[in-house]
Amino acid sequence: MSITPSAIASVVERLHMAMDGIEQRLNEADAKLGDGDTGGMLARVLAKMAETDLSGAVDPGTALTALAKAATIATGSSLGTLLATGLMAAGRTIKGRESVRVGELSEMVAVARDAMIARGGASLGDKTVLDSLDAVADALKGATTSAQAAHAVAQGAATALEAFRSRPNRIGRARMFGDGTVGLDDPGMLAVKELAAKLAG
Amino acid sequence: MKKLLNDPRDFVDEMLDGLVSAHSTLKLGGESARVVHRASGTWQGKVGVVSGGGSGHLPLFTGYVGEGLLDACSIGNVFEGPTVGSCVEAIQIANGGRGVLRLYGNYGGDRMNFDMAGEMLEDDGIRTTTVLGTDDVASAGPAERTKRRGVAGIIYAYKTAGALAETGADLDAVTAIAQRTVDRTRTIGVALAPCQVPGSNKPSFTLGADEIEMGMGIHGEPGIWRDKLKPADAVADEMIERLLAEKPNNASTRVSILVNSLGATPLEELFILFRQARKQLEAQGLAIVQPLVGHYATSMEMAGASFSLCFLDEEIEKLLAAPAHCPFWKVSA
Repeated sequence: MSITPSAIASVVERLHMAMDGIEQRLNEADAKLGDGDTGGMLARVLAKMAETDLSGAVDPGTALTALAKAATIATGSSLGTLLATGLMAAGRTIKGRESVRVGELSEMVAVARDAMIARGGASLGDKTVLDSLDAVADALKGATTSAQAAHAVAQGAATALEAFRSRPNRIGRARMFGDGTVGLDDPGMLAVKELAAKLAG
Repeated sequence: MKKLLNDPRDFVDEMLDGLVSAHSTLKLGGESARVVHRASGTWQGKVGVVSGGGSGHLPLFTGYVGEGLLDACSIGNVFEGPTVGSCVEAIQIANGGRGVLRLYGNYGGDRMNFDMAGEMLEDDGIRTTTVLGTDDVASAGPAERTKRRGVAGIIYAYKTAGALAETGADLDAVTAIAQRTVDRTRTIGVALAPCQVPGSNKPSFTLGADEIEMGMGIHGEPGIWRDKLKPADAVADEMIERLLAEKPNNASTRVSILVNSLGATPLEELFILFRQARKQLEAQGLAIVQPLVGHYATSMEMAGASFSLCFLDEEIEKLLAAPAHCPFWKVSA
């Protein structure tokens, strides 16, 4: 199966719709570790991305770049800027190619993860969205249909969230709560898990 | 929490609209409409001094745009970094042909966006440097000083870098004085009650009705201890003691102190704190120069206060006294 700009647009639209049900939950998770705005911020970013007209995008790479730009216009928060960085990097690897296979998604997520590590300075294991992407890239290996991919993303994101709950946050604002973060979900990781579950469901 | 606003989504844009229409020295610019700059512009040949940060902290950050202070400032949503695009535009607007200093608080989002903006502008031939505000002593131990977050004390670096840039000094000199001022400034805060991000249905942290938290950051970052409310003098004594414990090695006997409200705490209480702080500093043989008492860096309706000490040297003291004019801080010649 191949990934098209219109398939990307429909995923974005579904993610945007899904925010309604999880926005306040993400705000609440963030209020325990940060300032309580992760849900509101993501809702704004996804709304801006959903507004972006991808019908003119000549290929999937162009579509991802357009979505990255939309994210950078909607927010300057670290999570939003990281999201844009990841989309841009993934878009660049498939630039100019008309057709991209679902089987390549794992590698694209890995490229996004590495670009986000380079930009934000976090490491794997710090209990951030990067750990979710790492697990998602791994889970996506071997997925060749969109149904398999959606299932793999949901499973990878859920596994990462579970695995890291008992560990402390090591970077950013959440770092300052130290061992107080043990037992709490990182808001960025929770967002990936919730959104992925909606896509698969 | 009650707030006077319309749609939470319009909070920042309506605030900026009001800010620039109340103060004719400020102008809102850039395609993003999220850059506040001097209405008079940056004169050719001047090093630009740019800052940026999230909304919710007025007068920080945008309120310090003015003569002898900042040239331009990008601003994000409440408690979010400014977008890459607005950082690019702020740097372009502040470019007088001799480079631009990016002077902002040490926060992840702000850093990523200003870094990306600098990389994008390299091709345009605009030279940029960076100095990060890291004055909050409660946000990391002395061994990890570079991880500390920037709070109210950054305004001392705005003042010295802004004053030096106004003399026609070059980018390296302006950057050096900003860094030296940051290195000699320490801040600690105490929180009494939380604030709430517009659109969120919960306060950004909880604190018991009779509790305070020493060392809490301006977004509710955890502090050093949480306990029952104490008399103002005891709070002031501890804050001064903690700041003096972090006195730089080369400190002279002259300091400037900023007693700042986090938002809801009134001037009356600030003066009660200042009076005790002054007593303690003088007891330590320190002379107070240019004290500042008021709302300089807030977190909307958060209740509490912060103390910043800037340990002066001859040049910093001279630059602090140089003329400056912005809506919230005026220094006359």
